Amino acid sequence: MDTFLQEKHHVLQRTVRAFCHREIIPIAGNIDKEARFPWEVQEKMARLGYFGIQVPAELGGAGMDTVSYITVIEEISRACAGLGLCVSVHNSVAVFPIMAFGSEAQKKKWIPSLARGEKIGAFCLTEPNAGSDASAIESTAIRDGDEYIINANKVFVTNGAIADTCLMFVRTDPDAGRRGISVVVVERGTKGFTVGEAEDLSGMRSNPVSSIRLQDCRVPVENLLGGEGRGLVIGLSALDTGRIGIAAQASGIALAALEETVKYAKQRRQFGVPIAKHQAIQMMIADMATQIDAARLLIYRAAVQKDRGNSFTQAAAMAKLYASEMSSRVTDMAVQVHGGYGYSKSYPVERYYRDARVTRIYEGTSEVHRMVIARGVLAE
Amino acid sequence: MNLHIIVCIKSVLLRVPKGRTIRTAESCELNPFDRPTLEAALWLRGRYGGSVTVLSMGPESGTSALYEAIALGADRSILICDPALAGSDTLATSTVLGAAIKTLKPFDLVFFGTRTSDSDTGHVGPQTAVQLGVPLASQVLSMALGESGLIAERKMDGVLEKVQVSLPAVITVHQTSYPPGDPPLSGIQTAFEEGTIEKWGLKELSLSPESAGEPGSPTRLLSMTPISRERKCRILTGSSEGRADKLLKILMDSGGIS
Repeated sequence: MDTFLQEKHHVLQRTVRAFCHREIIPIAGNIDKEARFPWEVQEKMARLGYFGIQVPAELGGAGMDTVSYITVIEEISRACAGLGLCVSVHNSVAVFPIMAFGSEAQKKKWIPSLARGEKIGAFCLTEPNAGSDASAIESTAIRDGDEYIINANKVFVTNGAIADTCLMFVRTDPDAGRRGISVVVVERGTKGFTVGEAEDLSGMRSNPVSSIRLQDCRVPVENLLGGEGRGLVIGLSALDTGRIGIAAQASGIALAALEETVKYAKQRRQFGVPIAKHQAIQMMIADMATQIDAARLLIYRAAVQKDRGNSFTQAAAMAKLYASEMSSRVTDMAVQVHGGYGYSKSYPVERYYRDARVTRIYEGTSEVHRMVIARGVLAE
Repeated sequence: MNLHIIVCIKSVLLRVPKGRTIRTAESCELNPFDRPTLEAALWLRGRYGGSVTVLSMGPESGTSALYEAIALGADRSILICDPALAGSDTLATSTVLGAAIKTLKPFDLVFFGTRTSDSDTGHVGPQTAVQLGVPLASQVLSMALGESGLIAERKMDGVLEKVQVSLPAVITVHQTSYPPGDPPLSGIQTAFEEGTIEKWGLKELSLSPESAGEPGSPTRLLSMTPISRERKCRILTGSSEGRADKLLKILMDSGGIS
C-alpha cells in the first residue's frame, strides 16, 4: 500500500499496532464475551489522541489527514472491531459534523472535550420507523422561546450507553418533509434524557449500542447545528466521511481474519501435511488476500480524494460497499479454513465472522450504497 | 542543571531478511531495546532539565525511527548517512558515532540500548565509551544525579549494584528499566510537519573513508544461515508418578534442570 502511505503513515501504523497488541488484543475475546466497554483502554486511547484524529491542534486534536484516520481505525478494528466502531463513529459522524457545520462558538464548546476523549460522541438518526429512509424521522423539536422541547426515540445508537454529546436528528418543521429535519446537539444529563438497555448484539459486543429516549428535553436553541432544515444535508455529509471509517473497520476485521487463517493453515495438519500445502486452502487464502487489497485500494482512494478536497461521495460509497461485503466473504473463508474450530469460540475467527456481518448494515446498508453508486453513475 | 543527553538509536528490520535486505519505512522500526533508553533520557530531561539529541547511523530509511523519537519528545535528531558507511562492523560504527558525539560537545550523557533486535552484539555502547575516553555504566536500571556524577543502579546476577560515574559518561540502559510510552498522534503529526532530521556524512565528521565502512571494519560477515529448531514429541506412558519421574530424568539428563 506504499502507493498511498507516506513515511508518517507507516510510523503511525506501527505505533497504533503496538498499542493494540499490548492493550487491546489480550482482552478482545473477553470483552466480546462479556459485552463490556473497556474504559481502561478508552482512557489510554484518549490520552494518545485517538478521539480527535483530524481535529486541528488548536481545538485539542492531532490535526491529521484522512489517510491517517483510516490507518488508526483499521488497526484498532484489527484488534477489536467494537472499539474501532467507537472511535470511527466518534470521529466521523459526531466530531466531523460539528467541525464542518458548527459555529465557532459551538466548536469551542464541544470539540476540545470530544477531541481529548473526555466526552464521547454519538450520531442519533435511526428510529423504529426511520433507518434507510432517514426522511421518515418522527422525533420532534418544538421551539419554545430560546429553547427546543425535544421528544425523540432513537434506536441502535452506536456508543449509546457511553455517549455524552449526541447529535440528535429531529423534525423542527412537521410540514416541511425532508427539509423539516434538523440536528440539535443534546448532552447526556439533560433533564428527560434516558438511555435504554444495551442491545444484545451478535457482534461488536464491546460497543454498548443502545436506544436513547428524550422526553420533553429542553435544549437551548444555540445547540442547533447548521440551521433549521439542514438535518439531511449534515447527515449525508457525515455519513460520507463515516463510510470511509466503516470501510477501514471492515478491512481491519478481514486483515485479522487473514492473519489468523495463515497462522492456522501452517500449523494444522491433515493428510500428513500442514493444510496450507493443500491447493483448496491456498485458493481461499489467495482470494482473501486479493480481495482485502482490492478493498484497501478503494478505501485509500476515497481517503486521498477527501484529503485533496475533491468530491468523494462515490468513492466512499464504493469503498464501504466493497469492503463490508469483502469482510463478510473473507471472514466466512477464515471460518471455513479453520473447519469446526472456526465455528467455536476457542478461535477468534468466530468473532470476526460475527463482527464483519454488521458492516454491511450500518451507516447505510449495501443496498442503499448500490442506490447511491448507481445514481452517481447514471447521472454522469 | 541542564543536561545534554545524546541517545544513540538504531532502525532495525522488523523481520529476518530473506536474500538481499531492502530497508524501507515499512520494513524497519526503532530498535525495541532503544525505546526504554529514549524514555530514560526523556525522564532525566523532565527531572533535571536540558535537552535530548537522538543520533542514528544507517541508511536513509532510518529517518522513520528518528521521527518516532521526535514524536516521543526528542529535541534534535541526526542521521549519519553515507554510502561509504556500508559494511561497517561494530568497531567502525563506534568510530563514527564517537566522532559525531564529539562534534555535539558539550554533552553530559550518552545513552545506548543494551543490544539491538537485529544483530544483538551489544558492542557499540561500550566501544563508543572507549572512543570517547569516558566512563561506562552498563545494564543500568535506574539513574539519579548525585553530587559528583550520575548514580546508577545495575542489575547483576542476584545483586543490585549501585555505582557512581563522573560526567560525561556512557550508559547502556537495561530494557526493563524505563517502560516506554506510546507516541501521541499529535506528536507524530508535529514530528513530520515541523521536525527536521539533520543529515551528516563522513565529511561533516572529518572522518576518512578508511576509518569507516568495510575499510574500517576488521570484522567480516562470512555467512548467515537460518537456524531451524527441530522439535520432537515424546509421549510418556505409565502412572502419573512414573511419568513425572521419567520427565524429571529426561530434563536432568538433557541439562534442562539440575
